[in-house]
Amino acid sequence: MKEDLMDIICCPLDKHDLDLDVAERDDEEILSGTLTCTECGERFPIEDGIPNLLPPDMREEAPA
Amino acid sequence: MEDRSRAGVRRTYERIGTHFSKTREYAWPEVESFVDEADACETALDIGCGNGRHAALLADVADRVVGLDASRSLLDAATERVGSRVSLLLGDASRLPLADDCVDLAVYVATLHHLPSAADRRASLDELARVLGPEGRALVSVWSTAHDRFDAPEDAETGFDTTVDWTLPGGETVPRFYHIYAPAEFERELDDSGLETVSFEISSGNCYAVVVAET
Repeated sequence: MKEDLMDIICCPLDKHDLDLDVAERDDEEILSGTLTCTECGERFPIEDGIPNLLPPDMREEAPA
Repeated sequence: MEDRSRAGVRRTYERIGTHFSKTREYAWPEVESFVDEADACETALDIGCGNGRHAALLADVADRVVGLDASRSLLDAATERVGSRVSLLLGDASRLPLADDCVDLAVYVATLHHLPSAADRRASLDELARVLGPEGRALVSVWSTAHDRFDAPEDAETGFDTTVDWTLPGGETVPRFYHIYAPAEFERELDDSGLETVSFEISSGNCYAVVVAET
């Protein structure tokens, strides 16, 4: 993801801002890292350049 | 076995995404017209972007385009197709990870009807209203009882839930949940949500509504 996306993305649960922690980046994009909600503390991974902002109940491979 | 949850919808598209994406090459003409008529803007959003075929249109008029989908497999196809021009997000259409009022132009095409409960669909329309800016506009489409393949009358008051099988190249079928809308029902749901309908039409068995956020 491009870093300026931080201007508009937020926690899907409470809509508060996210803190960005970069693990790996190239010239243009953040390739991996973590987004953490400044309010509820929920953590969302950035995987292969794409933030996974699915709420936890959709992210987990819960049994059908 | 069919799993009627948003997580289930996501799993379905993780399974069929690669094949599904190859069959969704071209933009729909109704979406092309909507985007053609839009003014240049800062931020555009495609909810349920799939392989990015409509997000690519938005990139012609918006400085920044966000494509959101619940399926990583479809987003991988989108990365290949439009990844350099579109910011892709894995997310839930009924709990958008986007700030209030940040979107100027949105398309939400052939996706709302996959949300498995009326409450999810209502929440999703309210979420679209929340993220649309004061001048923002969106095109929302759903499959409807006006389509030839359904016996239900076009003028029914309510639609119905059904499953439509997706056949993988090996012949295996994967059921997909749909809520088929009666046009009157879709208009009612839009009225009840935080959106206001600017125009409404039925085309090729789908309902299309151009909407703005209620003021």
